[in-house]
Amino acid sequence: MSTNGQTVTAALPVYTKKDFESGVDPRWCPGCGDYSIINQIQKTLPSVGVKRENIVFISGIGCSSRFPYYMNNYGMHTLHGRAPSFASGLKVSRPELQVWIMTGDGDALAIGGNHFIHAMRRNLDMKLVMFNNRIYGLTKGQVSPTSELHKKTKSTPDGSPDYPFNPPLLALGAGATFVARAIDVEGVHMGGVLKAAADHKGSTFVEVFQNCPVFNDGAYTFLTEKANKAEAQVRMEQGKPLLFGKDNKKGLRINHQRGELEVVVLGENGITEKDILVHDATREDPTIAYMLAGLADKAGFPTPIGVFRNVQKPTCEEMTWEMIDAAKAKPGAGQLAKLLAGNDTWTIK
Amino acid sequence: MSNANPSGTLTGSHYLDGDHACSEGAIAAGCRFASGYPITPSTEVVERLSARFPRVGGRFIQLEDELGASIALLGAVWGGAKACTVTSGPGFSLMMEHIGYAAITETPCVYINVQRAGPSTGLPTQPAQGDMMQARFGSHGDYRLIALCPNSPQECFDLTVEAFNLAEEFRVPVLVMLDEVVGHMTEKVVIPPAEQIKVSERRYTKKKPGEGFKLFEAANGSMVPEMVKAGDGYRIHVTGLTHDDRGYPAMNVPTHEKMQLRLQDKIVENADRIVRWEEKDLDGADVVVVSFGITSRVAERAIKAAREQGVKVGSFRLITAWPFPEKQIAELSKKVKAFVVPELNLGQMALEVERVVAGRTKVVPVPHVGGTVHNPETILNKILESVR
Repeated sequence: MSTNGQTVTAALPVYTKKDFESGVDPRWCPGCGDYSIINQIQKTLPSVGVKRENIVFISGIGCSSRFPYYMNNYGMHTLHGRAPSFASGLKVSRPELQVWIMTGDGDALAIGGNHFIHAMRRNLDMKLVMFNNRIYGLTKGQVSPTSELHKKTKSTPDGSPDYPFNPPLLALGAGATFVARAIDVEGVHMGGVLKAAADHKGSTFVEVFQNCPVFNDGAYTFLTEKANKAEAQVRMEQGKPLLFGKDNKKGLRINHQRGELEVVVLGENGITEKDILVHDATREDPTIAYMLAGLADKAGFPTPIGVFRNVQKPTCEEMTWEMIDAAKAKPGAGQLAKLLAGNDTWTIK
Repeated sequence: MSNANPSGTLTGSHYLDGDHACSEGAIAAGCRFASGYPITPSTEVVERLSARFPRVGGRFIQLEDELGASIALLGAVWGGAKACTVTSGPGFSLMMEHIGYAAITETPCVYINVQRAGPSTGLPTQPAQGDMMQARFGSHGDYRLIALCPNSPQECFDLTVEAFNLAEEFRVPVLVMLDEVVGHMTEKVVIPPAEQIKVSERRYTKKKPGEGFKLFEAANGSMVPEMVKAGDGYRIHVTGLTHDDRGYPAMNVPTHEKMQLRLQDKIVENADRIVRWEEKDLDGADVVVVSFGITSRVAERAIKAAREQGVKVGSFRLITAWPFPEKQIAELSKKVKAFVVPELNLGQMALEVERVVAGRTKVVPVPHVGGTVHNPETILNKILESVR
């Protein structure tokens, strides 16, 4: 596409992390997972091959949405839930910009749920990073659409009677072409996921498990504590078998009779590495990505971390501009007066 | 001011309805982005834009709802486009959030509202002028904007061009307030050659990145700051929070006061440049009919009949509803015996006339629930009663 300038050009300056820092001191609570996310974004951007002035950060409302304030970029702090729609207008009209949407679980999935699914469906090339702390932090501790069932919060003192979203499942269902999950305390891994997100061309969803130390502390301890970590997480790495557990002795296998994933142990019942499902995020069919995303809700299964899905298809803005180019290529384009007085006119005498 | 781009301007005499004339006005004004969500009776505006845009390099996107539609255009504006959205009734209610955001972020943009009868879903296909106070006060907090009221397809074209120009000049959301009848009536619309259509371009800063440009600093005696666009190398921060000249959030009263008062004053103190009206037979008039939109067309007949009966009645047609031509109405109120204010609502602009007249003379509202237009006789009777 001629109008898309997202390729590396010879003139691209060499950036460092510092080039992406605004100089404004972030105002998040001490120990907030948001610091880790901004750190990784600022570390990742020098390597994405896009001019700094062509990178735009758009946010909604919430702790996460203070993000653009701290970035040395073109930043828009918009309205609660609306960042994806604001970003859609910008991206369609300026496809050469790299557009990042920084949002939270309340912002993206409650008030912005409708905008979120439609942004994913359209496959505009926008990178949406959702900080999932499973709580409303800025308003000090109410239930969110990702809070666990029965969770006691300030707005659910007797426990929440409703079921949470599984965000990657939602994004997959909405048609996102890139779906991934990272964890705030695992910075190096998150950096890799963010780089892959930056490189992807299409609707990009990254869920970051983010600890809110003040209003929902320890939400992800079950995943991140050293003692549990190996059993609780399975890392999805492209082309590699889905192994986990101490010494990678456990794995995920498709049980063909039951049509679902199961946990097996290498060396037991004749199981070898060859039985283990090999991760491939580029599968056209999203079924296995759905199965993996669904594991987060299932007892006895590890929580998948990494890239669930990464497929390419034409983006909305590419197709929009192709239509414009085609329309302009028709004879008379840009010369309406000439067209109106063109070959097919005659004078009545 | 520069000339309209000839590549998009549909110069000539056309037979157009008001909705389609708005679309042509937008294109002539340089609008190259529109967002929308289907709703009666305004959908024709975006349908025409979506068909006309590709050849002139414009983009239309249909969003998931009016919340999305009314903020997508703001994204396009900050990317450098001139942009509008179009809606009616319940859609206009949803858009209030973003009209407030456009006001505080000083985003030049145009919202076209083809009014239908409400509240709520009301009468989706039938006319009203019931959104006039919502246009002024619909979003929370204090802010000022500009609202224009065309009364013919020709004026739909003219005032849509004007709306884009005013939006750029004052960095403010401008509302074009049609009603269903004006939107759907078909009349002759003359579109002048492009070089005769004056267009205000966005005023970008001449400062280069790093030279201390401030996005919300009104400098050089102007009350309206200059802009930048994405990709030009400026680090900016735009927020709906109260912000200082740089656009940085500042949660304190002095900053809030400074910001709020400038948002107000840039409109109030420039009202003489903004306010537009059409007057007829005001010299020696005893009664003045204040009307707008389709109601002004109906009132014409009542005024003619009253004059035939010897009543000295003149007409004052609001072209800008907001800012309200208060100086002009106040001046008139010292001379005339009564104002008669017909409108397709239960009395909205009549309140504004009453406020400005401040008891100096009589104000006679002629309310109508909407769904259709007034019977001219109803207006005539009020004119006759008012001088009795």
